[in-house]
Amino acid sequence: MVVDDLFEFNSFRVHHEPHIRVNQDICSGCTHRACTFACPAHCYKWSEERKKIDFAYEPCLECGTCLLICDRGALDWNYPVGGFGVRFRLT
Amino acid sequence: MFGGMMPFSPVAEEIIPDFWEKAPWERHVVKRVLHMVAEQSSTAMEFESDSFDSPPYNGYTLFRPIFDRWLSHEAQKAGATLLCSCLVTNLLWKGKKIAGVTVGRKKGNVRAKVVVACDGVLSFLAKEAGLRTDFIPSQMALGVKALFGLQEALINERFNLARTQGATCEFLGCTDGIRGGGFIYTQAETLSVGMVLHLDALKKSGKEPYLLFEEFIGFTPVRRYLKGARLVEYSAHLLPEGGYGMVPKLFTDGMLVAGDAAALCYTNGLNQEGMNLALASGFMAAETVIDAFKRGNFSSKQLSQYEDRLKESFVLKDMKTFKKAVSLMHTERLFSAYPQLINRIMEEIYRSDGKPRRKIGKIGWDAIKGHVSKGDLIADLLKGGRSLIW
Repeated sequence: MVVDDLFEFNSFRVHHEPHIRVNQDICSGCTHRACTFACPAHCYKWSEERKKIDFAYEPCLECGTCLLICDRGALDWNYPVGGFGVRFRLT
Repeated sequence: MFGGMMPFSPVAEEIIPDFWEKAPWERHVVKRVLHMVAEQSSTAMEFESDSFDSPPYNGYTLFRPIFDRWLSHEAQKAGATLLCSCLVTNLLWKGKKIAGVTVGRKKGNVRAKVVVACDGVLSFLAKEAGLRTDFIPSQMALGVKALFGLQEALINERFNLARTQGATCEFLGCTDGIRGGGFIYTQAETLSVGMVLHLDALKKSGKEPYLLFEEFIGFTPVRRYLKGARLVEYSAHLLPEGGYGMVPKLFTDGMLVAGDAAALCYTNGLNQEGMNLALASGFMAAETVIDAFKRGNFSSKQLSQYEDRLKESFVLKDMKTFKKAVSLMHTERLFSAYPQLINRIMEEIYRSDGKPRRKIGKIGWDAIKGHVSKGDLIADLLKGGRSLIW
């Protein structure tokens, strides 16, 4: 499967502060959890055990899909600090 | 991230003479292919022109990191100052007028008489300036793209190309019913392969874009192009797909908006344009700013010239011409029912199984029955006609 390798080919310069913050109180009331499947970098996972969204900002491709599909305003969304984030070589 | 093909634009030659001889591009596009895909069959329409094979070429594939670096060096040669790794966080205000931007650094205030916001599809600056309202998912599409390395000779052989000739392929019917499509663009030694998916449809589908991508590259015509290719990079980006109706107010006191930030991007099913509109809008923004400096006037009224220029040019004219294509591109049937229908018809036309052949009218009618209602078909034909034909 190409998908298994897809996420391995990008390089990132990760800032210690997340550029997106998730308000878990709002997420807990969400019925569709669209971020968990629509995010092309799979940054959002629903943890059944902890009843919350597990969010990793490090592999974010900075596309904005989560911001657009979240209809509850649970995200404080910014681009990473200048010089940080995903580094596309050719695309 | 960029798809993509940059359509030829004469504006570029006005900025830099012999622009396209100097610019770093990958291939010049001579061939456009549209594939309509069903589960086990596909029908393609291929257009190729000798006139696209001599300069000035009609369109180019290129890599933005390389192209942008070159263009920024040209701008610096002409006197521009380039500040990299400076994320613009806010606008600077002087009363109700915009007076520059703040970048996320110490002493990060950059004052300016006029700001041209080219901050991309999500343009937080246009929002802060009050020029746009909140987006809705149906106005946006997610593009996911993988870059595959493949020997130049193999690309030329598989796409039937020579020298720096290039091809673009679009695919309809490969998105599991989600409004959107697939694409392949040829670069010198790489293929850009990806999909564009309307966000509202993706959200409703409950599907992962990378799994849809995996399915896409498994379709027979795609799989054959990619045989032996190795993955190089993966990227994702949003595209403004709201058309003319999504274009925000383009100017205010001390600021203009250009490119994706101004939603200057459209598709009508056959053309997919954005980078040429961005370049031209940047050019017209620059002309407007030069005029503003000549008059020492940076008011909204003075800067409104920008909109006039865009309206007189192909930029807003094309977006207006294909204004109604937005509703066509939001017709679900275009992305599954119709590609399947076309393939059912084609398959019966060509199938030899000892049964007597039928004329296309009968085959077509049977292919439609039970799949698309008469009312829907007529409505869609009218929609398609209004979008593309008259």
